[in-house]
Amino acid sequence: MERLIKILKDIEPEINYANCKDLIDGHHLDSLSIIALVGELEEEFDITIPTVEITPDNFNSPESLWAMVTRLIEEE
Amino acid sequence: MPSIPSYFSVQFLAILLPVTVTTYAFLPQKPRRIVLLLASYAFFWAVSGKLLVYLLLSTLSIHHFGLWLADNQNRCDQALEQAQKENRKGIKVLYQRQQRGIIAFAVILHIGVLAVLKYSAFFATNLNVGFNLLKLPATVAIPSFVLPIGISFYTMQALSYVLDVYHRKISADRNLFRLALYMSFFPQIMEGPICRYTETAEQLWSVPPIEYRNLTFGLQRILFGILKKMVVADRLNLLISNVFNSYQDYDGFVIAVAAVCYTIQLYMDFSGTMDVALGIGQIFGVSLTENFQRPFFSKTIPEFWKRWHITLGAWFRDYIFYPISLSKPMKYLSSKARKRLGHNFGALPASAIALFYVWLCNGLWHGAGWHFIFFGMYHFALILSGNIAEPFAANIAHKLHISREHPLYHGFQIVRTAALVCIGEMFFRANGLRTGLAMLKKIFTDFTFNTIVEKTFFSFGADLYDYIIVAIVLAVVFFIELCQEKGVSIRERISTKPVAKRFAVYYALIMAIVIFGAYGDNYVPVDPIYASF
Repeated sequence: MERLIKILKDIEPEINYANCKDLIDGHHLDSLSIIALVGELEEEFDITIPTVEITPDNFNSPESLWAMVTRLIEEE
Repeated sequence: MPSIPSYFSVQFLAILLPVTVTTYAFLPQKPRRIVLLLASYAFFWAVSGKLLVYLLLSTLSIHHFGLWLADNQNRCDQALEQAQKENRKGIKVLYQRQQRGIIAFAVILHIGVLAVLKYSAFFATNLNVGFNLLKLPATVAIPSFVLPIGISFYTMQALSYVLDVYHRKISADRNLFRLALYMSFFPQIMEGPICRYTETAEQLWSVPPIEYRNLTFGLQRILFGILKKMVVADRLNLLISNVFNSYQDYDGFVIAVAAVCYTIQLYMDFSGTMDVALGIGQIFGVSLTENFQRPFFSKTIPEFWKRWHITLGAWFRDYIFYPISLSKPMKYLSSKARKRLGHNFGALPASAIALFYVWLCNGLWHGAGWHFIFFGMYHFALILSGNIAEPFAANIAHKLHISREHPLYHGFQIVRTAALVCIGEMFFRANGLRTGLAMLKKIFTDFTFNTIVEKTFFSFGADLYDYIIVAIVLAVVFFIELCQEKGVSIRERISTKPVAKRFAVYYALIMAIVIFGAYGDNYVPVDPIYASF
């Protein structure tokens, strides 16, 4: 989770990730940030994130992102 | 009244809608589904006649492709279950290849029909121009097809359904009638919203009884939509038609006013139609997806496109932008670029390539014409340059001690975004790309206030009375949208008022439409703008 937060802070440093539950719905992450985030997550955790995983449910909070990452690690 | 039986026609508002609502209300659950489906096909038939066959074939086609994909996926799952671990990868690849073939077939078929009907004349015309330029002695006959109503909208719904089945986001629907209702629901068939299967199919199929609250809220929204369309959009039509059709006769100021008025007309026309569509949906207990979220409060062009024609933007994002920008070659490009350019710019090359295709498709989706392609490329250039300039703009603002959170700065951003949108819409409405460019040139080279000085300004298709009525309704719309921006629902507020006050509001709305609506002998009927896309 710490590695994930570090990646998020590198991409969008101004967001307070501790309480944020609407990264997508609140327009905090734009499409450019999402592409960068997907690339970083894939490299860092050696996973492939298919486009169908890019949903608000998966990307709205660090917790939901982490749940997706751990699920994809298990599936790999 | 419009020439085609649109949602604003007497035939629709006085016959089809009340008959459907009344019949639906008095029937038990199961027959209600048939009522909705028959009403949807009756509406389609009333507008497009025999071309209904395109919608029927499209529905049958996605039903078949969905089942074909599901069958292949089931066989894949069974084979994987029975296979040894070392063989699984091979089986997966084999079935994935088959599924790719099926989905490619489905996509090519649906896009192919749309392309032939909508773009073949444009393609043939440009081919002939090319032959002429190369001095080749060849010409291609220019085909002429009549488009079924809403083909651009229902094709996107059809594609989203099969693509979602392919990606296993949803299960294939075995019930042909549920799928048929999802594809044809009459309030949305003409101009959208472009809904996903998960958003509306089950809701429509559940056919709940009509509730008083849904009925009144739905009727309010329909009335508000009619007000926007008939009092503002249609009233501005004569001025816009005059100036856009004979722009040579007008100076830059009048052209600029017409460009702003066209943007207002387009917004009032399209969002008014959406109000009617969503209002009708609400009467039947169906929440159609919102297509507008107060777009003229946007501070940037990307934000504008998240608030304007939302369902189209979301479709392009999910089925074009992410699949391209996150494809293997683009991921490789992004990975290399991130190492060289850092986080801020690393995703930019892949994003730019994907954005180019999104905006090319967006332009072409609106119509077969170079000015539509220019419209798409204009927004592509604005969004891309905004992405590139953003870190520099932040730096400059910081150095100049300009607070980017100050309300004045936000006001500047909102006005700037609206101005850029108006320029884009001018090209969108212009009779061709050359005309659009000539109009833009006139705004910058022939801008005078002579029409005001000579008091001829109010004789171009809208007089002072028209401008006052439009301004009053726009002020009402602005007030309502401002409240919504602050999280206040005017409709909820009205619903808590005593009956007398509530009905006073309804009567005011009806009277405003009856008295100030642009219809009758002095007005040419105006078809809903997006119905022609």
